[in-house]
Amino acid sequence: MQATLQTSEQNNSLAARLLVFWRVFKKSRTGVIGLGMLVFMILVAIFAPLIAPYGRLETISVSDIYRPPNALHIFGTDDAGQDVFSNFVYGARISLTVGFFAAFISIIIGGIFGLVAGFFGGRWENFLMRFTDIMLVIPDLPLMVVIVALTKPSLLNIIFVIGLLGWTTTARVVRSQTLAVKSRKFVLRARAIGAGRGHIVSRHILPMVMPILVVQAVLVISLAILNESALAFLGLGDPTTLSWGQMLNYAFGRGAMSAGAWWALVFPGFGVVWVVLGLTLFGQGLEQVLNPRLDTHHLMPSRPNVRKEAANAKPIPSQALLEVQNLSIHYVNEGQLPARAVENVSFSLNEGELLGLVGESGCGKTTLMLALLQLLPSAGQIVDGRVFFKGVDLTALNEEEMNKIRWSGISIVFQGAMNALNPVRTVGDQIAEAIIRHIPTYPREAIPARVTELLDLVGIAADHRDHFPHQYSGGMRQRALIAMALACNPQVIIADEPTTALDVMIQAQILELLDSLRKKLGLAIVFVTHDLGVVAEMCDKVLVMYGGVTEEYADVDVIYNDAKHPYTVELLKAFPDLTKPKKKLSSIPGYPPRLDALPAGCRFAPRCPAAFDRCHTQQPSLHRIGTHGHIASCHLAEVGSTVPLRRIAPRTQK
Amino acid sequence: MNRTRIILRKVAWSVFTIFFVIILNFFLFRVLPGDAARAGIRDPRLKKEAVEMLRVRFGLDKPVINCFESLNPIELGSCNVNPLDTQFFIYVRNLLQGELGVSYHTNRPVAEILSERLWNTVLLIGAGQIFSIILGMALGVFAAWKARTYLDYGAVATSLIAWSLPTFWLGIILLFWGSSNGFPLAGKATPGMSSMPLLQQWGDIARHMFLPTLTYTIVYMGEYTLIMRSSLVDVLSEDYILTAKAKGLSAFQILKDHALRNAMLPLVTVIAINLGFTVAGAIQIEAVFSWPGLGSAIFEAVERRDFPMLQGAFLLIAVAVIIANFLADLTYTWLDPRVQVE
Amino acid sequence: MSKEFLEVQGLKKYFEAGRPSLFSKDTRSVHAVDGVDFTLRRSEVIALVGESGCGKSTLALLLMGLEEPTAGSIKFEGMDITHLNDHQRKQKDLRRKIQMVFQDPYESLNPTQTIEEIVTEPLLVHGMLNTPDREERVTKALEDAGLKPADVYRKRYPHELSGGQRQRVVIAAALVLEPEIILADEPVSMLDVSIRAEVINLLAELRITRQIAVIFITHDLGSVGFFADRVAVMYLGRIVEIGTMLEVLEKTQHPYTKALISVIPVPNPRLRHERIILQGETPNPINIPSGCRFHPRCPVAIEACALTDPAMVTLSKTHQSACLLLVK
Repeated sequence: MQATLQTSEQNNSLAARLLVFWRVFKKSRTGVIGLGMLVFMILVAIFAPLIAPYGRLETISVSDIYRPPNALHIFGTDDAGQDVFSNFVYGARISLTVGFFAAFISIIIGGIFGLVAGFFGGRWENFLMRFTDIMLVIPDLPLMVVIVALTKPSLLNIIFVIGLLGWTTTARVVRSQTLAVKSRKFVLRARAIGAGRGHIVSRHILPMVMPILVVQAVLVISLAILNESALAFLGLGDPTTLSWGQMLNYAFGRGAMSAGAWWALVFPGFGVVWVVLGLTLFGQGLEQVLNPRLDTHHLMPSRPNVRKEAANAKPIPSQALLEVQNLSIHYVNEGQLPARAVENVSFSLNEGELLGLVGESGCGKTTLMLALLQLLPSAGQIVDGRVFFKGVDLTALNEEEMNKIRWSGISIVFQGAMNALNPVRTVGDQIAEAIIRHIPTYPREAIPARVTELLDLVGIAADHRDHFPHQYSGGMRQRALIAMALACNPQVIIADEPTTALDVMIQAQILELLDSLRKKLGLAIVFVTHDLGVVAEMCDKVLVMYGGVTEEYADVDVIYNDAKHPYTVELLKAFPDLTKPKKKLSSIPGYPPRLDALPAGCRFAPRCPAAFDRCHTQQPSLHRIGTHGHIASCHLAEVGSTVPLRRIAPRTQK
Repeated sequence: MNRTRIILRKVAWSVFTIFFVIILNFFLFRVLPGDAARAGIRDPRLKKEAVEMLRVRFGLDKPVINCFESLNPIELGSCNVNPLDTQFFIYVRNLLQGELGVSYHTNRPVAEILSERLWNTVLLIGAGQIFSIILGMALGVFAAWKARTYLDYGAVATSLIAWSLPTFWLGIILLFWGSSNGFPLAGKATPGMSSMPLLQQWGDIARHMFLPTLTYTIVYMGEYTLIMRSSLVDVLSEDYILTAKAKGLSAFQILKDHALRNAMLPLVTVIAINLGFTVAGAIQIEAVFSWPGLGSAIFEAVERRDFPMLQGAFLLIAVAVIIANFLADLTYTWLDPRVQVE
Repeated sequence: MSKEFLEVQGLKKYFEAGRPSLFSKDTRSVHAVDGVDFTLRRSEVIALVGESGCGKSTLALLLMGLEEPTAGSIKFEGMDITHLNDHQRKQKDLRRKIQMVFQDPYESLNPTQTIEEIVTEPLLVHGMLNTPDREERVTKALEDAGLKPADVYRKRYPHELSGGQRQRVVIAAALVLEPEIILADEPVSMLDVSIRAEVINLLAELRITRQIAVIFITHDLGSVGFFADRVAVMYLGRIVEIGTMLEVLEKTQHPYTKALISVIPVPNPRLRHERIILQGETPNPINIPSGCRFHPRCPVAIEACALTDPAMVTLSKTHQSACLLLVK
């Protein structure tokens, strides 16, 4: 009883999975077109006797040689007086059969080789991969030609030859995928619970390798069909059959050209093109489902900044070094509601100040930082608000003007994971590039010394200047990024989670470095992080974000000792404190909202322990608390005056 | 491990592969049922003395290797043959002396015929590859730049179609079109051209080369465009491109100084892997256009059952591809510093 | 009791780096774990703290039997399990009694399996699939891991769950076999701050309700403060200090521990304090410094530190530390 229950469950899941697959696959137009083309030709091949007006290889009459297309012969006749259309339709059978069966052999061999090599490793892998490498280098078609010429050109023979030589790329692809899966944590977990090799291969490796194998299979079938037609054209087809390639061999060799009989040359080849193109498009569609790629990049054109207020409303001048006023950013994707990533955020920063921007994943802090330098991805758009730097509205600048301010006025330090620096250029080179760009008058000969000076400032030895990023450790890379950010003497540095992936001691070193640089050079820093401990150690002011909105904004002391927003309070309760090791950590139930499905009312309300009915229907405005610029976005903070949503006057310096 | 060690290793591996091909080549032609030499020997056109001479010359009367006269396990017991006196050894010895046998069809030495034709193929493949790489890269960069616009979709669609065309068929179509538009129908040069001034000769060759090269370019350009496009889109979505943008570099500068070199690495790998396929294309194109190169040598040898020619041409092509592969591999090592310094 | 629950003595794991070839003969080894001793009692929670390169993750793999030790011994319930192979481990029920929770909730689950399949898999592997209470065990595991009601989650796929929920699934898969030890390798470092406490609190609860001992590997000392009984601080493959939580935090003896504690940020701006920031980075475990392995970076090193490798000094019944300055 339990056994049957299981199988019916499994059946459901298989049918269900296919349905899900089809729903996603349908979205790829190329894939659907390709599938249609394939199915069409397969049906033609299957129903050949019903479609073809004449029999297989049926000679109509010898005098009917090379007749152009007409009512009786829609594809004309060939050199033997046969109907090209009928031969075409029957020829489909040959070409498709050879293609599929040969590919089948190649896929099985390639799949097994790749799986064994990848999974067992060691001597097996060595031997199989060396062998594959050799067979990969040896040119395919010449070898096929030689073997078929030396043996007899029967259909079965051709299938075997093409099949036995077509497995090489499949073996390599399957092997690398097997290796990749083998090293993933869930396989390690399976080993840890005592799973045997068979179990791991069948339950973990195969399901993850199958998609790649399927895509590869489509490619192999195309190549097999192309190879068959080439062999047939070169005169090595089975003389008892008539594939498309063979039709072309006869036509070409028997004067179709001089007779001007284009129909005998175009149509058979077109059949091959149709099938291969159909397979290729189908493969593209499959790949989009099984290995979806995000087809965007950083150099795609960005969206223009818009503003909600009337065009002739004058902006409020700002005296702060960096001031953000009511900035709102959306992510726009076709056919979907825009994701409101940042809504109505404001803050200001003066010389020598350090602002901590705190929030968890998905709160919009990185989006906000990118927007400051107009670096949003192509789907992002500033839909309201302004960014003032030294009194200049950055949101109103064009790309060229913005490029001048980037790096020389405001620079940014990203998380120093391997790819923040170009791996094929030296670190010194990339630092020098910034100098050359923004200080064109700087003498060229003096640049290497300046780069060494910058590296020294962050504690990197001079000989590392001409090394590549992969030769640096994680901590060194982060410091190199800081050195590069200082290269053009900016006034503001944005540090986006610069120490998140680093060890706590290295983190301390980097933080100390930033602090000393701030004091030495008078830098203003915006420090984005989720670590409340770091914020307490370093920052003067704190901006707490949640769901794209400012929840609280105040001096650091106020945030930690007199927070008014429930999110800030809960976050502090959840953060461990080494001075109170026995304090039980609290957590906030639930999880952050999706930016394209935001709750009505306060964004934190679903998780807030202090929420009441108004919280779920009305979004709280930004309330001013006290006189030192403390802002909290909470209905509970509504004491006395409410600052309207539009303007927040800049904070005067203490 | 420094560079010299890596290079030496690769050289050793290439040599080993070449040796493997030689063995493979030898066995194919001696062991397969359509027994090459013997079939040729039975050619009624050859006179008896010539047949005997051939037998002796190529050691066809000797055992194949050590004791495997016929791969018959019963005969393995008795073995008193001098290994140096075997067909295999004679074959390799001949090979090292540049001796590839005699063509059954023309009675001329195979090596001689092939050396004449080698450069024609190199010319054709060389020109075709250069054009397809340059045009493929250009179109790929353009498509990536304009990613997700109609121009991009158009470029990708064109490339997919180009990739799906059978090489010989495209050649036939172009030849058909060309023949009614004044292009020569076959061969490399018009007969009687060799007495004309050099410039005119070259012009003539160029006219003959145009259609075959065009075919070659169209077929291979498709793949290079697609690879370049996806590789460049991948590179342009990396973090260091965002860093470069934040540094205030213009889009063109970023493309030139940061993106292109990284994007080309996969392309080099693909070009290397493709070398075997480009030969397949050459065979088809030379057959269609009767271009006198190695490819058509294979084609003609098949037609005429000229096995020494077939064997020699195959070996030459395979060795050429292995060497070209080695060079492409070296280029990759030179381009990617992550491989160099470990 | 004379039989310790889990006893580790002199455990070492060296990896080979570089192979001898035609051109060079040297083999150098990475001393990932270089002599570790500790014991664990039933239902005890011990925190293994250290930075990258200290060997804590390798130690976890050794304890799980996923790596073969180069030297030393591991005894579980008195039985020597150091060199058992996979089959023997399964026989002795080790693969059931000791379970592991990994760091990355996004990688620990096979994306093609449903939650039900994932939690049932351990039962399948141990041949317990046809027991009559199979479904109940799965339900209990899911609910004990905080995924209530279990039926809502059974048919879902990993990508439909948040990071915190995924980690709970991993814990449920560990619980379904009713283990006695759970080895958690940085189980919360990839989760949001507000979610971390959930998972940590869950482990604390399990220790009480199911008497499971927990070896909690982390770099964040603060997060385990309230529920770890003991702390062991690791550096370059050795334990440099071990003791109860309060002893290590308040009566710190080892210079490395002191530095580590001083740089952990405290979420209170009024407590900005003096930090002992060590220079440079942890050396590569291929080149372990002579004498005391910490001496090149130690702020209070003396001459003898470069020459002598200090042994563990007993400071109290539970507190030990390996530093020459303690030998007086």
